[in-house]
Amino acid sequence: MSVSAPAALAFMRRLREGLDSGLDLPEALTRGAAALPREARDTLEHVLRRLEGDHEDDEWGFDEDFSDLVEPFFGFLYDRWWRVRVEGAHRVPAHGRALLASNHAGILPWDATMISVALLREHPLPRHPRFLVLNWAFDLPWISVFIRKVGGVVASPYNALRLLEQDQLVAVFPEGVKGTGKPFAERYRLQRFGRGGFVEIALRAGAPIVPVAVVGSEEIYPKIADVPALARLVGAPFFPVTPTFPWLGPLGVVPLPSRWRIEFCEPIQTTHHGPDAAGDRGLVLELTEQVRDTVQQALYANLVRRGSAFV
Amino acid sequence: MAGRRVLITGVGSYLGSLLAGRLERDPEFEAVVGLDTREPRQPLGRTELIRADIRDPGIAPLIARAEVDTVVHNSIVRQPGPGMSSRAMHDINVIGSLQLLAECGQSPSIRAIVIRGSAGIYGAEPHAPQFFGEEMTRLFPLRTRFQRDVAEIENYFETYSRRHPDVTCTMLRYQPAIGPSLDTQITRYLAQPACPTYLGFDPRIQLVHEDDALDALVAAIRRPVRGAVNVAASGTIGLARMIRAAGRPLLPIAGPLFGPLTGAGRRLGLDSYSDDFRRLLRYGRGVDIARLEREVGHRPRYSTTEAVEDWVAGSRAGERTAA
Repeated sequence: MSVSAPAALAFMRRLREGLDSGLDLPEALTRGAAALPREARDTLEHVLRRLEGDHEDDEWGFDEDFSDLVEPFFGFLYDRWWRVRVEGAHRVPAHGRALLASNHAGILPWDATMISVALLREHPLPRHPRFLVLNWAFDLPWISVFIRKVGGVVASPYNALRLLEQDQLVAVFPEGVKGTGKPFAERYRLQRFGRGGFVEIALRAGAPIVPVAVVGSEEIYPKIADVPALARLVGAPFFPVTPTFPWLGPLGVVPLPSRWRIEFCEPIQTTHHGPDAAGDRGLVLELTEQVRDTVQQALYANLVRRGSAFV
Repeated sequence: MAGRRVLITGVGSYLGSLLAGRLERDPEFEAVVGLDTREPRQPLGRTELIRADIRDPGIAPLIARAEVDTVVHNSIVRQPGPGMSSRAMHDINVIGSLQLLAECGQSPSIRAIVIRGSAGIYGAEPHAPQFFGEEMTRLFPLRTRFQRDVAEIENYFETYSRRHPDVTCTMLRYQPAIGPSLDTQITRYLAQPACPTYLGFDPRIQLVHEDDALDALVAAIRRPVRGAVNVAASGTIGLARMIRAAGRPLLPIAGPLFGPLTGAGRRLGLDSYSDDFRRLLRYGRGVDIARLEREVGHRPRYSTTEAVEDWVAGSRAGERTAA
């Protein structure tokens, strides 16, 4: 392939992304009337695919076509189920590497998918974030395949670093499993942010850290009890008991329709520290605390702004 | 280094005889010595053949007399093939490597040892990073016999290179190879009437094309580097997509039944799957090839997808000529 071909491809991709975002809002209003632009878009997509030699997925298993296919389902959850309000999407860098650090709740990564939809809908230059998912999910049939296709990867620092070096947008949940297993009474109270591994990675890659606060995700599965014996039996980190799970069987997996707010806070720059700063324990812990503080403050502020949780 | 003299073990294998042929044609290599019990798969010219088993201690004086400066260890067996038990495989791999090192110790002319090892040492794990770097061999326990064997072999070479600082040991960690002229576990798997997969799993598979497998070996002989180097095609491919590309139907089997059912298939004369291969089909494995590209200087010509496509084109052509 000649040198100009990738540039042309990048241009077309940008063009299509613009087209996508331009189409989404009117499409929500007049879904049926958009036949002509949709046709045009399909043709363009077809051309793109042929140019790329039927490129289905990248080396991580991320499948953009598949992500577009399931978008209506996530769009429904976003618009109708959780009525998501977004603030500060423009603060996420439009290109180049960046690390999103968010609070985390619920055993299924709904918060990650909603951050993803928010960026595709509200960002001036929509981009698909990749997110680090709890290792445990990759043991599960189907779920592991699905997560990989929509951009999830095993939560390993090596993966995060490689993705950032490929100038991707990477979402991490520094609370980790402690966050997903939070009881309902402790919602929106951030757990310890691990040992600050995500800051080390951001420093090494020279990526800005964007603190993200997600309000709403911590009410969808109100965990009132934990059954460690059952958790050990199925190999899960914990076995949650909610008002609907496991009493209603598979129906108990349906998340409650809380109201959501997602705020992207001001990015914290890391490039001026240089990659060697990753070994500086003091700096790493200081930045970790700064990110944690920002997310916690934004959580409280958005909880107040949201008002009641469900109606 | 001018006028290099190279010893190749396992020269009878397809890749081994191709390598010998390549070095024969290169004037930089003054002498090529091949060691194997088998007849080379490709006719060779000036290669001097030693008909002996690598495990035979009697070959030490033969190697010393050949005055080679480079040893290419190419007789590590990757899967128990027909007529070879896993015990025999262990014997060839571990005892063979040990014996070879003992013989190298008696040949003061040796400057470099290049080993065609296996990326199987990393295993196949659900929680693994998508791409293993060379330093990540200790992330997970060694689960299969082959994995333990490879780890043991690597250990021997590491110890050897520590005790002989003037000898450069290059451990090439190969992903499974594919190509129109190869007969490996992966090509046999894709040539079956239907390909069993784990129900609900679609792992990322990374392979290496036969041409790249040979070129990487040649590049490492030309420029041996110290330590381990991953050898693979760029990128990965989903298992389901790979099987579809081969034009075979998928046969999804629930996890607990996979072992018993494929075991029954073996009794019916179908190909058997090693523990390593089964884990690969369930969890997949990718390796990072930055070191191969930057330090050894070999940039793979085929991506994993292209390597699969090339094999498919080759096997279709083969079917046509057979018909």
